[in-house]
Amino acid sequence: MQYVIVGIGGQGILFTSRVLGHIALSRGERVVGSEVHGMAQRGGSVISHFKVGDYSSPMVKAKDADVLLAFDQNEAVRNLHFLKQGGHAIINTHDPAFIENPSLRKWMSDHGVTVHTVMGYDILKREMGGRFLFLNVLILGAMCGAGVGNVTIEEVREAVKVLAPAKFVEDNVKAVDLGYAGASR
Amino acid sequence: MSNKAILLGNEAIARGIVEAGCEVAAAYPGTPSSEILPSIAKWADDLGTRTIVEWGANEKVAFEMAAAASFAGKRSCAVMKQVGLNVAADPFMSVSHFDIKGGFLLVAADDPGPHSSQTEQDSRFFAMFAKIPCFDPATAVEAKEMVFDAYDLSERHKIVTMLRPGVRVDHCRQDVELKDVIEISRPASFEKDPRRWVCLPASVRVNHPQLNAKREAIREEFETRFSRYNYEVPAKKKARLGVIAGGVSFSIVMDILKAWGADDISVLKIGTPHPLPLKMVEDFISRHDNVVVLEETYPVIEMQLNDRTKIKGRWNGWVPGAGELLPELIEEILCRVLGKEVPEGASAELKKAAEDLNITPRPPMLCPGCPHRASFFSIRQTLPKAIYPSDIGCYTLGVNQGMVDAVVDMGASITLASGLFMAYKADGKEQPIVATIGDSTFFHMGLPGLASAVYNKHIFVLVILDNSLTAMTGGQSHPGIGDKLRKGETGRRVDLEGAVKGCGVNWVKTTEAYDISTSRTLVKEAWEHAKAHEEPAVVIFRHPCMLLRQKQAVIPVTVDPEKCIGCKFCINFFNCPGLVFDEKSKKAYIDERFCVKCGVCINVCPHGAILATEGEEA
Repeated sequence: MQYVIVGIGGQGILFTSRVLGHIALSRGERVVGSEVHGMAQRGGSVISHFKVGDYSSPMVKAKDADVLLAFDQNEAVRNLHFLKQGGHAIINTHDPAFIENPSLRKWMSDHGVTVHTVMGYDILKREMGGRFLFLNVLILGAMCGAGVGNVTIEEVREAVKVLAPAKFVEDNVKAVDLGYAGASR
Repeated sequence: MSNKAILLGNEAIARGIVEAGCEVAAAYPGTPSSEILPSIAKWADDLGTRTIVEWGANEKVAFEMAAAASFAGKRSCAVMKQVGLNVAADPFMSVSHFDIKGGFLLVAADDPGPHSSQTEQDSRFFAMFAKIPCFDPATAVEAKEMVFDAYDLSERHKIVTMLRPGVRVDHCRQDVELKDVIEISRPASFEKDPRRWVCLPASVRVNHPQLNAKREAIREEFETRFSRYNYEVPAKKKARLGVIAGGVSFSIVMDILKAWGADDISVLKIGTPHPLPLKMVEDFISRHDNVVVLEETYPVIEMQLNDRTKIKGRWNGWVPGAGELLPELIEEILCRVLGKEVPEGASAELKKAAEDLNITPRPPMLCPGCPHRASFFSIRQTLPKAIYPSDIGCYTLGVNQGMVDAVVDMGASITLASGLFMAYKADGKEQPIVATIGDSTFFHMGLPGLASAVYNKHIFVLVILDNSLTAMTGGQSHPGIGDKLRKGETGRRVDLEGAVKGCGVNWVKTTEAYDISTSRTLVKEAWEHAKAHEEPAVVIFRHPCMLLRQKQAVIPVTVDPEKCIGCKFCINFFNCPGLVFDEKSKKAYIDERFCVKCGVCINVCPHGAILATEGEEA
């Protein structure tokens, strides 16, 4: 299973792969992935790679990813090429019109790629006082809601309970469930 | 007891260092090495070792502290990024000649790409220059294992040993085996022996041939005793291609060959690129007609070969001479050397979609609420005709505000200001110059430049952007803060104003960075003072880094579309992720996804269009 996670520095992307890693390890699977730290982290485009299974390299090659998790729809478009034939993208969306772009539509149908959108900002604004830092777990919930990614919503909830700071566990679980309910299938 | 955990490559290296019984660890932070030292402290706390863990003011300081601990018999390590080794090059070259005592590990983390550096230089080359052994890990797991062997080798041959992880090893996450710490009792005992510990030319005449002999002895070991790092993955059928690969390039090659199901390509993995196990490599080459070498970033393996005629590599352009060897590029190179069709690159449809939707890569920016943004704004508004040399840190991103005109390396903002002053002085001309440097960078290498500028009566304003931590690399401490890494340990804060005054500066004043009006007054006063008294004047802009998440006033803002004339002044001069220009309405607006409600931009708009909104407390 190969995941690519993209977004903007400061959105808390690193926590998402930590959750996936925790789940894989508790299943006894091997993991390897790559993160971005340093200057590149400051508000710019960031990308994390995460692979579960018998891999050596921490990086996902273009056209190899099973799932693209995008914290930002623009970053999603820039990184869709990582998806393999038949792959799935989970995209936090602020302006759903982008999906109607004809070139994008054509690429998606040529490559059998399915896009699942979740209006993460709207949901967090409405349900959690605009605390956008919970996007990182909301998007995992959305992935489960879309029925892809090879992890269950229960596994995500349990991992988040272990990994989140104690005083934010409840909020994190809530965000996971909001993502689960809010994802397009 | 042993158990597994998913660790960052740097955490795995740190774990290895503690498990190997290192008792003195020193570093200066720098991406991609920064997480190693704090992780050493964490593991040492967890395992209850007595390891001394300290940030040095710069890499030279860190290297020398660790070296001396080795002279006293302790296992020690110095950790830095690749350009940090430039700073520590002087002691590194010297100590490499020494017959050291306790195992001494140098971790030099490279940044092919580069992602967060001013060069993508190859530290393995530095190991070759210093004639010391170098380990080049392909994974986090291997990096941790190599730490033990590096210490063992270092002690047996009494030589500095380098571990060279690339950024993809430092910042990879992988499941890693944890062991209990190995108890090593090496009581501190410095034996006086000037011939051993004083680098007199007479000693070098003995040490240099001895260093050559050590290198050849180590090369022999790398040929025979290090098959866990240097090994061949043979092809199942007759090989049409031989790949020689080191570092993460090896891991990438292995994943590609597996995905291809290739059975006619053999791979020689080299984990000890210097001194190169030459017999092993030459034997591999002799058995293949077609050989490609994949290594980052310089041709270190390639250049050690006596005969490159069969090699497809950097010397003949098959492998690019710059940039990171990403998986797509490695696949392309493999296809080319095999005469296979190269997989199709970027999709035209996706490119078109990105164009239609106006999507471009987001460059890094200062964080919303970052005090540097306010500081740069104040300086530019006060002395718009000045030249602005700057330095290495988050604030290099002030380039987005037109506030960074030249950057070279750590501490050079001050020396560049001096040189620019001298250039205009030679013409008898007055030129305003405002240098900007961070607090940690000032202690790193700013002090000598400032003393020199005072001594030579250089006229410029130095702004120290004091956000009370080393921000770019994730928030490490430094002498100006005084915190230490091991639990229960406290250091002492070195007073920044005092240090500036100690360099002989007569005029130094401090301002709250968010307070644009006071800051502007002080910058103006500083420049007037510098001119009148022929000396550098210093303004310290102070406000904690947003990464510290300290409590501050919450001031929600909005843009009044009636007042906004669409001049983009706020975008060009303030450049905040929370302040965006809408091309349709030709007005600025607040992007609440990013705005942290610092309220500074209220004072930025010349038309008074940015307003505080009522109520709402967070």
